[in-house]
Amino acid sequence: MSDIAVHVDHVTKSFRMYHERNQSLKSTVMRRKTSVHEDFLALKDVTFDVPSGSTFGLIGSNGSGKSTLLKCLANIYYPNQGSITHNGKLAAMLEVGSGFHAELSGRENVFLNGSILGMSRKEITRKFEEIVDFSGVEQFIDQPVKNYSSGMYVRLGFAIAINVQPDILVVDEVLAVGDQEFQEKCYSKFNDLKHSGKTVILVSHSMDVVDSMCDRVAWLSHGMLQEVGEASTTIASYLDSLHEGQGE
Amino acid sequence: MKYLQELWSSRELLWNLASREVRGQYKRTIFGQLWSLANPLVLMVIYTFIFGFIFKSNPPPGNPSGLDIFALWLLCGLLPWTFLANVVNASASSLVANAGLIQKVSFSRAVLPLSQVGSNAYNWAFEMAVLLIAVSVVGGFVLPWLPLLLVGMFLLAVFASGLGLLFAVANVYFRDTQYLLSIALQMWMYLTPIIYPMRLVRTESDKWGGIFGTPVTVAEIYNLNPMVHFVELFRALIYDNRFPSGANWMICIGWAVVTLVVGFAVFRRNERKLAEIL
Repeated sequence: MSDIAVHVDHVTKSFRMYHERNQSLKSTVMRRKTSVHEDFLALKDVTFDVPSGSTFGLIGSNGSGKSTLLKCLANIYYPNQGSITHNGKLAAMLEVGSGFHAELSGRENVFLNGSILGMSRKEITRKFEEIVDFSGVEQFIDQPVKNYSSGMYVRLGFAIAINVQPDILVVDEVLAVGDQEFQEKCYSKFNDLKHSGKTVILVSHSMDVVDSMCDRVAWLSHGMLQEVGEASTTIASYLDSLHEGQGE
Repeated sequence: MKYLQELWSSRELLWNLASREVRGQYKRTIFGQLWSLANPLVLMVIYTFIFGFIFKSNPPPGNPSGLDIFALWLLCGLLPWTFLANVVNASASSLVANAGLIQKVSFSRAVLPLSQVGSNAYNWAFEMAVLLIAVSVVGGFVLPWLPLLLVGMFLLAVFASGLGLLFAVANVYFRDTQYLLSIALQMWMYLTPIIYPMRLVRTESDKWGGIFGTPVTVAEIYNLNPMVHFVELFRALIYDNRFPSGANWMICIGWAVVTLVVGFAVFRRNERKLAEIL
């Protein structure tokens, strides 16, 4: 296994901002073009490496391009320029419980959601106990998920996603929901992953979490990489920049 | 090739999504799966009353089966048609309906429209089984044709998948597609010999000869509709109990393959852009 888990190489991603978005046939036929647009650069020439077995944090203010970068990592968006290469199986947890079917039971949803995340039936059967155990919804596993509380919903979703057992796990701020106890359970799960040599990339607005969890941190601002390095120093310079802004 | 491999590896997901549709569809209904029969049965009663009894569309009796029951003759065309129409409608909205999933999870997107083919095929198979039983009860000798009938059903499913993939992408770009589709499908149904026999079209066409002085006849244009040939195939097997002509098979296979290839080509070309456009 190589030392670098993810290599982000000069990634640029732009979105089209539509001044007139023609989503109807009529306007297309009348104007003979689908739209008038201008490009908005969400990521500008971002380059960094994530070392294997590390926990890597992405920080930055709202709209700085963190989520776009995460989606590029997760193969949901594709960069316009540059490339992202990764060694090993990558799984992304951008939202938990996406694809749950409200009328189906928790059990059926574990199998459905697991296969959406790329697990085979065999794998899911093997890990079923573990998933249910971790989520703490044993009692309700045969109830339709529409009767679940939002906490139960998230816990079950998280339990499935974490059991995909990827080499690289990409996590958006999905843990804001769920009680203290469950959050701690999740963080200890991340630590387990780290100890078994897996890589975790996470986005968070909570600097305490980033500071305690991450070895290295990248700071994005307006789509540009400001700084990448040791967690504490990067966080410090990010916070400094915020306070400077306030001082002016 | 790599694309096909990727699709093959997501067959389990495809199966799970299709069974999610099937299981979720009639959940908490008293009659369950029987509801899938309700719509074709009501259509059968209406069309039989109007076109069998009042207008007398008088289809020829099954040859060599000798069957002469309008309702059964109608269903041989109507059931394949409703399957196609349901698949095209459901596939067209499948990507838009699952926008949340597409924007959050990376997986082979083609499974979304294709799972609609799967779940509708399940309902269709159920309806066809009931039809086969009915035909057998009134004296049709349909069981020996079952293997060929399954091949025919597979071909129509392939054709429907191709259309579904195309319209799924089209609907992402133009939301008008789904409304346009329901109109187009209505017209398409009446342009297919479901409630009237093909013979009537031929008679009229022969009367008129070439249109506007050209050697092209109405029947030739009419025959461009692929569903004409699919319905002919199903009627030959179920109602007439005979082997459909070689030409009939070739046309159906041709339409199915070409549509699927075009559907996949278009889908693949647009697949990566879906998350942004939705």
